[in-house]
Amino acid sequence: MAYVATRGGERAIDQSERLYRAELGRIDAARVAEIRHALPMLIDRVMGEASLYEPDLAALALAQAGGDLYEAVLLLRAWRTTQPRLTIAEPVLQEQLFTLRRISAAFKDIPGGQILGPSLDYAHRLLATGVLQGRPYVPAPVEPAATPAPARQPSLAAWQKAQGLVADPARADVAPDDIPDLTREPLLFPAARAHTLQSLARADTGGMLALGYSAMRGYGNAHPTVNELRLAEADVRVRHPRGTVFSAGRVKVSQAEVTSKGKSGLLELGFCATLGWNEVKVISGATLDLNAPGAAKGSPVEEEFFLYHTEPVEASGFCIHFKLPHYVTFQSSLDALRGAKAAPAPHELEKVPA
Amino acid sequence: MTIATLTKPWEAMSYGFLDASAKRELRRKMLKAIAVPGCQMPYASREVPMARGWGTGGLQVTLTLLRPSSVVKVIDQGADDSVNAASIRSFLSKVSGARETWDTLEATIIQSRHRIPEERLRADQVLVLQVPNPEPLRPVEPNMSVARQMHADADYGRLWLILYEQIVRSGRVMQGAAYPSLVNGRHVMTPSPIPRWDVPKLHMAQHLTFLSAGREKRLYAVPPFTRVEPLVFSDVPFQVEDHAALTCHRSGLTGYFMNEIPQGGGGSQFELSDSNLGIKAIRQAEGAEARVGSTWYENGKMPQ
Repeated sequence: MAYVATRGGERAIDQSERLYRAELGRIDAARVAEIRHALPMLIDRVMGEASLYEPDLAALALAQAGGDLYEAVLLLRAWRTTQPRLTIAEPVLQEQLFTLRRISAAFKDIPGGQILGPSLDYAHRLLATGVLQGRPYVPAPVEPAATPAPARQPSLAAWQKAQGLVADPARADVAPDDIPDLTREPLLFPAARAHTLQSLARADTGGMLALGYSAMRGYGNAHPTVNELRLAEADVRVRHPRGTVFSAGRVKVSQAEVTSKGKSGLLELGFCATLGWNEVKVISGATLDLNAPGAAKGSPVEEEFFLYHTEPVEASGFCIHFKLPHYVTFQSSLDALRGAKAAPAPHELEKVPA
Repeated sequence: MTIATLTKPWEAMSYGFLDASAKRELRRKMLKAIAVPGCQMPYASREVPMARGWGTGGLQVTLTLLRPSSVVKVIDQGADDSVNAASIRSFLSKVSGARETWDTLEATIIQSRHRIPEERLRADQVLVLQVPNPEPLRPVEPNMSVARQMHADADYGRLWLILYEQIVRSGRVMQGAAYPSLVNGRHVMTPSPIPRWDVPKLHMAQHLTFLSAGREKRLYAVPPFTRVEPLVFSDVPFQVEDHAALTCHRSGLTGYFMNEIPQGGGGSQFELSDSNLGIKAIRQAEGAEARVGSTWYENGKMPQ
């Protein structure tokens, strides 16, 4: 057939895929292990966006996708579809998190202390070019503090609530099986709080940063102050059919709470948490969450706007779908265009009597 | 009783890829969609091993409908051998054991991107249309929550306003594909970006049509013998593409929707958009056995 560029069927797509994969070469367990070992931040980012916590699978997805993040997330999400939902873990409370880093920009010091933990925040971003000249970069060893920081830290918002600085809405206890699950139900608006938080947790880091940054620059109503930023590990506590609650393992989580003075005279909070450690994402997400109440329809900080447009699999998929042939649709528009050219100009259609 | 007696042996994936809970949700939403023709039903829309926007909505509906005895045809812009159609078709047969076909007459399920085959569909066939944007109100109201309210109120005035403005500006309705249509006198739907040529095929058809948007998580249906009326003014009739007199330079057929192939020296050649109809016509002309079914359009006209 004539439209050779996009036709040719099975053989063409097979060879096209081979060409891509030939570049990546052999993928074996050693490569996957090396990716997992060398790129923990990337693994975290992919696991968060895929909403699937499995570092080995994430490393495999990155290996298979050659590092294309959207492809890697799609691989993991599609794999996730094939897995049953076995059980729902117990809710994780902040003060139970095994906390490795916890800082607040709102106060010089906070109950529990500022715990820097692992961070590049104050590092000089110099390329270690010596590595390329055969001098390996060996990080200086960590010198542990005389007294280790407590593993569990209180929530700053809890202190603010006690001080009457933050509204303390009554907690609605929901049975685990009744928690709305975004992967099993569509996102509708106004969104259930659980859906909003799940959607933020799965959102595209770059997309969330772009929209969050627009709010930070002034397209939002509220300027965020980082109330609390936490990197932690959470026990996944599940109930055995016999009734015993046990920890099935730990997952890395990050969460940010940002705040600003609200019209009510109280502090308002925005919150975002995700699987894996991803500070840019949770600060951006929390900023969007903070700005969402009362936002104008169609503004970047309106919930519907930012939740729809930061969904990585949907956004990237739709973007690349424009590569598919669109000649039928185009032909249909062309027909209207030619018809309009051939038709008499509209003012000649009707002669208005003088 | 042991666990082994209660469970099935482990398999890498469920029959038809989607697991039972996903299929159950889809079946429920599909039944609802049939019950309220043209009304968009939200569904969870699982990720499938294809990128969003590449037919994942159609794919989920087809996967739910498939059984081993199904015969499946997949077309993209009318062509069976288009790369994405080929990719979807091979995935469908791989995960379901269904037989593949290019022949509209043979198929029990036809998944299509942006075309309805030219041969009439029967009551025992299901058409699944892939939908990029399920919301006919999107051009006038990009916010989904507001649009949902407008559907509830049957508040479609602004769609007519667009058409009116087009007539005032350009002397004719300029809407190309995806022509907004009123279903069963109640809900306006977008028939997906099928050309206007294909819209009348949905009106009072014998077959069931599902329209499914995976990325936007909405599906809707046109059940058999349901009214599908393009939005028009009483004095400005609905106009399909001006293709009735065009002849396919490969098959010699006239009176169907054509692809335009620009020619080096200026001007254009035309070929049938429904590629397998063209192939069958060529085979017939060569004396080979090929059955061409009755078509919706006769001599370039859709019988009233």
